Amino acid sequence: MGKERTAVLGVGQTEYRSTRGDVSMAGLVREAALRALADAGVGWADIDAVVIGKAPDFFEGVMMPELYLADALGCAGKPILRVHTAGSVGGSTALVATSLVQAGVHRRVLTLGFEKQSESNATWALSLPQPFSVSINAGAGGYFSPIIRQYMARSGAPDLIGCMVAFKDRQHALRNPHAHLHQADLTFDQVVEAPMLWDPIRYSETCPSSDGACAMVLGDEAAGDASPNPVAWVHGTAMRSEANNFPGRDEVSPQASRDCAADVFRQAGITDPRAEIDAVEMYVPFSWYEPMWLESLGFAEHDQGWRMVEEGATHLDGGDLPVNCSGGVLSSNPIGASGMIRFAEAALQVRGMAGEHQVDGARRAFGHAYGGGAQYFAMWVVGADKP
Amino acid sequence: MADAPLRADLILEYPFSRTTGPVIGAFLTGLREGVLLGIRRADGTVMVPPAEYEPDTGESLSELVEVGPAGEVVSWTWVDSPRPQSPWDRPHGLALVRLDGADTPMLHGVLVDSPDELATGMRVEVVWSDEREGHIADIAGFVPKEPS
Repeated sequence: MGKERTAVLGVGQTEYRSTRGDVSMAGLVREAALRALADAGVGWADIDAVVIGKAPDFFEGVMMPELYLADALGCAGKPILRVHTAGSVGGSTALVATSLVQAGVHRRVLTLGFEKQSESNATWALSLPQPFSVSINAGAGGYFSPIIRQYMARSGAPDLIGCMVAFKDRQHALRNPHAHLHQADLTFDQVVEAPMLWDPIRYSETCPSSDGACAMVLGDEAAGDASPNPVAWVHGTAMRSEANNFPGRDEVSPQASRDCAADVFRQAGITDPRAEIDAVEMYVPFSWYEPMWLESLGFAEHDQGWRMVEEGATHLDGGDLPVNCSGGVLSSNPIGASGMIRFAEAALQVRGMAGEHQVDGARRAFGHAYGGGAQYFAMWVVGADKP
Repeated sequence: MADAPLRADLILEYPFSRTTGPVIGAFLTGLREGVLLGIRRADGTVMVPPAEYEPDTGESLSELVEVGPAGEVVSWTWVDSPRPQSPWDRPHGLALVRLDGADTPMLHGVLVDSPDELATGMRVEVVWSDEREGHIADIAGFVPKEPS
């Protein structure tokens, strides 16, 4: 017996903002959940289980928030599961929920990721001075910048490729009402002239710190067939992990990333990702990760990813492989939700429900998230047609 | 000593903030104003403290209703030797108090001198703190209510 076909029945997103001072943590997750239920045309009683994800508890200082949020998410008498895989958690959470439907355990599952970054400081939470730790706490930018420089040296990419990605994603964000950054007057020169934080990463090439939540209702084949709005069918799912330091590790394109992509495309029957995928939502918290992941995932040849950026191939206007039409992580980053937003936006594209940032005629889309020191990967391929 | 075990302090501190939202926020603001608020559920019963949602079904709730300031002790315990973490530094009762107009009891202190003064079913009324800031401690505690 194979897997039960699984569909995204509904998507719900909050507005992503630096501070959502108008809602409690429970109110924030309910806002996304209620929108996903409405999109799916179902109520709380139609949900069989909830799978929730967020970044480390230290981010808001609420230990195990999934427990106090259980009844806020209509979970009385139902199972609730919490997932945590660092920055990739939003993607992994969606995949755990998917597996519950694929396995035939539940008919409809609500899955949700959130973060309320305004209530804490992610850099503080990620840089706790543990006794006897042998790691320097340089923050995410300090960790990833040398890896980006390694990519630039290896590929011969021009210096301003990262700025082109950042400018493109901020332009895309103007078409997404949920996006945190709406910088209508931003110019490319302003991106280039922004303060250098960790050379080669400029302030303009980093993600913002956002409050927000993203939810999806997933259902089995019968639920998908009965759903009032178009659904997105799951064509492939994959997760991989690896250590962040071992001899011979390729930090630019980790083995786990390449293996995860190969697995998910094999499941979806995709042999030429660039030609067969219509829209990509990938996890790009620092601009240069767009060309790096394009190569690692198989959308570009080795050392050629930056050329796609330079040629405008990843732009919603005129590109053959639009990447992060929602504005991406560079325009909204409620960390625990950021991976799920990628997955949900991929689903919206093949449902034809992405609004102003819709890729015309998108039939298959790719959602991607990574976390830790580029150690944890979660990916899915969704399509307008049943697999 | 070369083989003495390494020791290090680990002190984690961060000033987390909280957003209370429209329901818990209203309850806390009410405390500051000297007003006790509950929320009406779909079946007509009133829950105190209030929640933004029906605990059984997840449906949204929004109808705030004033309750108290007196109520009935549903059950209680006596704390004869308060620990350092206790909100009160002298012997006191802790009681589940069902405020008038509410259907759920709320835990708070009863400020009496002896457990002999406590009984299930007794009437109590709220004592407000002199300085209130929108915190559960704005309620100083409850005291026995004399029959009027």
